[in-house]
Parts: sequence; structure tokens; C-alpha cells
Amino acid sequence: MRSLLGELATGGTNEEVTITDMEASIEHMSRATIRHVEAMLILTEPYYRSLETVGRIAPLVRELGIEHIWAVANKVRSPRDEEILRSYCEDRGIEIGGIVPFDEAIQEADREGRALIDYEPEAEAVGAIERIADLLEREVAVKNNGSSDGGNGEGDQS
Amino acid sequence: MKVAVAGKGGSGKTTISATLSRVLARRGHRVTAIDGDPNPNLGVALGMSQEELGELVWVPKEIAEIKEEGESRSLVLTQPAEEVADEYGLAGPDGVNLMVMTGVDHAGAG
Repeated sequence: MRSLLGELATGGTNEEVTITDMEASIEHMSRATIRHVEAMLILTEPYYRSLETVGRIAPLVRELGIEHIWAVANKVRSPRDEEILRSYCEDRGIEIGGIVPFDEAIQEADREGRALIDYEPEAEAVGAIERIADLLEREVAVKNNGSSDGGNGEGDQS
Repeated sequence: MKVAVAGKGGSGKTTISATLSRVLARRGHRVTAIDGDPNPNLGVALGMSQEELGELVWVPKEIAEIKEEGESRSLVLTQPAEEVADEYGLAGPDGVNLMVMTGVDHAGAG
């Protein structure tokens, strides 16, 4: 029997993607649930208290053997913010998977109960998230495709 | 590929999970977005209406049980994945399939 998330992403091919929005509290992060996740994005804001959460989660996730762990910064307003993030992550050997700028469109979409991508498709934040999708396709999906757990061959470059 | 999004509340997990789901779906992936938050609002962030979301049945805790094999514990489904997706999944914009699994990871605990 495969794991829960494994089952839900039947086949494990390039075409099947599951994105799980997890509970905020890491104390409740169940090992049983996340063991079979291939990539973990840890969201943070570029200030110390939020970064500390990344600093706590990353080693736990690493211990579970999850292959790709990336910090993703959100609400980044300035080069200084970026610098704080980079130095924090570098000191702890945590890779940065994306930097999403502070974007009014996020709050506005939220206020109207709409999807960001519908509300403002050209929003800067959407562009930054597209780059995270690029990263996942490049680092996670491609590798899956070459593995033995049932790739359907689509997208194979060989 | 199986991706999880974690982080402090208010850091934008839901918006980023939803947008990432939509972007990957537009690129031709078959995307299932799973809401594991106790206060689920991934559906709205994906662009589903309150009306649509009213029809959504949360995946019951009993769907999964913890299986222990030596030191390793994993959650396994008690019915086939296709049935779970059919019964509890809700198709949204760009074909993203939403499932609310709040509480499922505590199945069988304690």
C-alpha cells in the first residue's frame, strides 16, 4: 500500500501534481502525512520572527528525508528585506525557492473573495509564483519522469 | 509530483498554494489542491464561489488510517484513491481539483 498523498497522486507521473496547503502549526505537522512529499515549500515573511519558523521547520522536514526543501519569502518589500532573508537562509544552509514581492493585488483579491490569478493575472506576485512553478517543474517533475515509479513518458527528453 | 506548503499563519500559504495550483494546471498538469488547514479557504483562493464550495463535502477522517511498519508510520487510504477523488473532489477553475482534508492527518491518532 502506498501512502495517502502517494495514492492521491496516482502514478506519480509528471502530469499529476498535488499541492497541499498545510496547517500552520508545525507541532501538528504529522510525520505520517508528509513523509511522502517530494518538495516542501516553507513560506516566510522577511522578518526575524517569521524566519525563525523556517529555521525550526526546515531541520524537521530534512530529518524526514524530504528531498527538496525551499524557503519561499512572501511580502518582500525592499532589497534590505531580501538581504535579511538571504543571510538568514545562507547561515542555516536553507535554499531559497522563490521571492514573492509585497503586492497590493493579493489583499485586494482576498477582499473580493477572488483568485489572485483572475483578479490580476499580470500581478508581480503571480510572476514570482510562476517562477516557483518553473523551479518545481525543473527540479522535481523532470526527475520523477526519469524514475521508475511509472512515468508515462510524456515530456521525456531522451 | 507531491508538494506541500508550510509556514506561519498569515504568511500567504493559501494564496501561494492556490496560485501555484492554477499556474501548474494551465501548463497541463493534472492538479489536486489539498486544503489541510483547520480553517479551510483554499477554495476561495482558487477562485471557487461560495455557492460551489457549499457543495463540497470534506474528506472524512475515516478515509485514512495510520499503518505502522516497524519504525515507519504512514497514512493509507481505506478506499481507492479514484473513489476518494470522485466523491470528495470538486473541480474548479483551470480544472484544479480541490479536496478539503482538514483533520485527516490526525486519523487514528491517540
